[in-house]
Amino acid sequence: MRKILLYSIIGFFIILYFSLTIFILPEKYLSNEQLVPQPYFEVILSNSEISLGDSFQLSIVSENRGDYGDIHILSTSFPTLSEIEGIVEIVTYDFTQSSVHITPGDEIGAKYSGGLESIIAKYPSIEAMNRPILPDAKNHLELIITPEKPGIFTIYVKSIDIPHTSNQSHYPYSGILDHQDEYVLDYSVNVNP
Amino acid sequence: MPLSQSDLPKKFLEIHSERIFLFGSIFTSFGILLVTVGGSWDITNHLLNRPETFFSPPHALMYTGVAISLIGVVLSFFGWHNLQNSKDYYFQSLKIKLIGIGLLIGAGPFDFVWHSNFGLDGLLSPPHLTLILGMFLCSIGGMIGISKYLKINNLKSIFSYLLILAVLPIWLSGSGIISSLSLPFSNTDYFELNPEPTFAFFVASMAFPFLISFSMLLIFRLSNLRFGMMSLLGGLFLLIYSSTAIVPNFALFDSIQFYSLNLIPFVISDIFLRINNSKKSLIFVGGLLGSIFYMIYYPYVMYTFNESLLGKLVSPSLIYFVYFELIETVLLYTVIPAIIMGIIAVFVSEKFSRKILMKKS
Repeated sequence: MRKILLYSIIGFFIILYFSLTIFILPEKYLSNEQLVPQPYFEVILSNSEISLGDSFQLSIVSENRGDYGDIHILSTSFPTLSEIEGIVEIVTYDFTQSSVHITPGDEIGAKYSGGLESIIAKYPSIEAMNRPILPDAKNHLELIITPEKPGIFTIYVKSIDIPHTSNQSHYPYSGILDHQDEYVLDYSVNVNP
Repeated sequence: MPLSQSDLPKKFLEIHSERIFLFGSIFTSFGILLVTVGGSWDITNHLLNRPETFFSPPHALMYTGVAISLIGVVLSFFGWHNLQNSKDYYFQSLKIKLIGIGLLIGAGPFDFVWHSNFGLDGLLSPPHLTLILGMFLCSIGGMIGISKYLKINNLKSIFSYLLILAVLPIWLSGSGIISSLSLPFSNTDYFELNPEPTFAFFVASMAFPFLISFSMLLIFRLSNLRFGMMSLLGGLFLLIYSSTAIVPNFALFDSIQFYSLNLIPFVISDIFLRINNSKKSLIFVGGLLGSIFYMIYYPYVMYTFNESLLGKLVSPSLIYFVYFELIETVLLYTVIPAIIMGIIAVFVSEKFSRKILMKKS
């Protein structure tokens, strides 16, 4: 009799375990809202016009205004350049990962696909990265740029957070599309001869 | 005749040689336990923070463990060398430990050179495989040494708990081997070493259930059917796995509640075998323990099954959404082979423990 009671209790707990782990808790967890990190940045250009041979400073404060995220990327690209060596210098950098320098011809991700779709880079860029990114975290990137040619010097800036779950997972949300088919804000400095 | 000053250390070694061998085995197993904890932490660290240097806290823990294991093997050797009449009895344990520590020590510089030449390496790489195999062999050697000592000296009571230290590193390092052969964490810029998804599916579905059941029933048998050992072993496994794979990931924190439920089948197995330890009961427990592998290896086992069943891109904060999306499908495909593997482990653990516990002639 005692054994039958014990076996019944064991049976009850086995059923309880499998019910909770396979049906009840998964449903509860799946009904939770996914975390949505929201990137944002502000850019300050030291000059809007310089003479050839002079330098200007680009300062970016990049932040996450949303939930916890796995990866935060701030990309600064230079569509009028073919290489950045000797022209762009990083002077301030406080992201957790080392910066990644992309050169024309590199295979890079596109369309916010997290690497599932890719393109060949047409111009150079610098990617600053945080893994993971906490809510309200702020990071700084400062570049000293010394253009080598007169004319309009253009800089594209964008930020993407992963997981990329909606339009809120990138900044800006609209505007100019870059070579990765992703939205950017553009900044330019007039370089006088 | 009085002993001369120079004879004292020799005499001491002769008298305490067996105990020194035991301490060597304990150190070896404890060292491997640290390596496995560091290894699990390292996987999480790579997934969340992508460390860019070889010198990371999980690596420090792992190599501290290697150093402790090395001390353990050296102690074992000195202990064994001075044994008077049970050299053969302990030789198997020493031999396995020596091979294991050779692989472990070799893996350190190999890993450093690999990192230096190829940057960040994946889970499955030649140095990592060397390291994990060395860990597994050392843990087997340590377990045999501890079990034999307890058996020959007929030590029960509090000493039986040493068996948890003996078996846990085997379970964890065995999990490391299976994870290396099934998780898609091994592609790098230089090498594409991710296991083929179907192969990985089979490895995970067969080997994890076997390993859970084998480890639990091994401790049950080695401890002479002692009640509570399986719950303690299972509880410690869950504690280590949750603190290295779940707690560090902010997005998984609330799933601790789900993971802690896994203690139930371990306690049930203990109670069930306490009431009745017949062959049929052992088979039931083996099947039960095999069937819960997908829950026990939460969260990373999801990556293996996602490769074959969904093919989604899963970033760390999305792990549990994909895990729970897959749970019913995975169990549908795997529950029967998992139960069978759990039952096979019952018989293998019986043979294995019998071989270990053979008394010296």
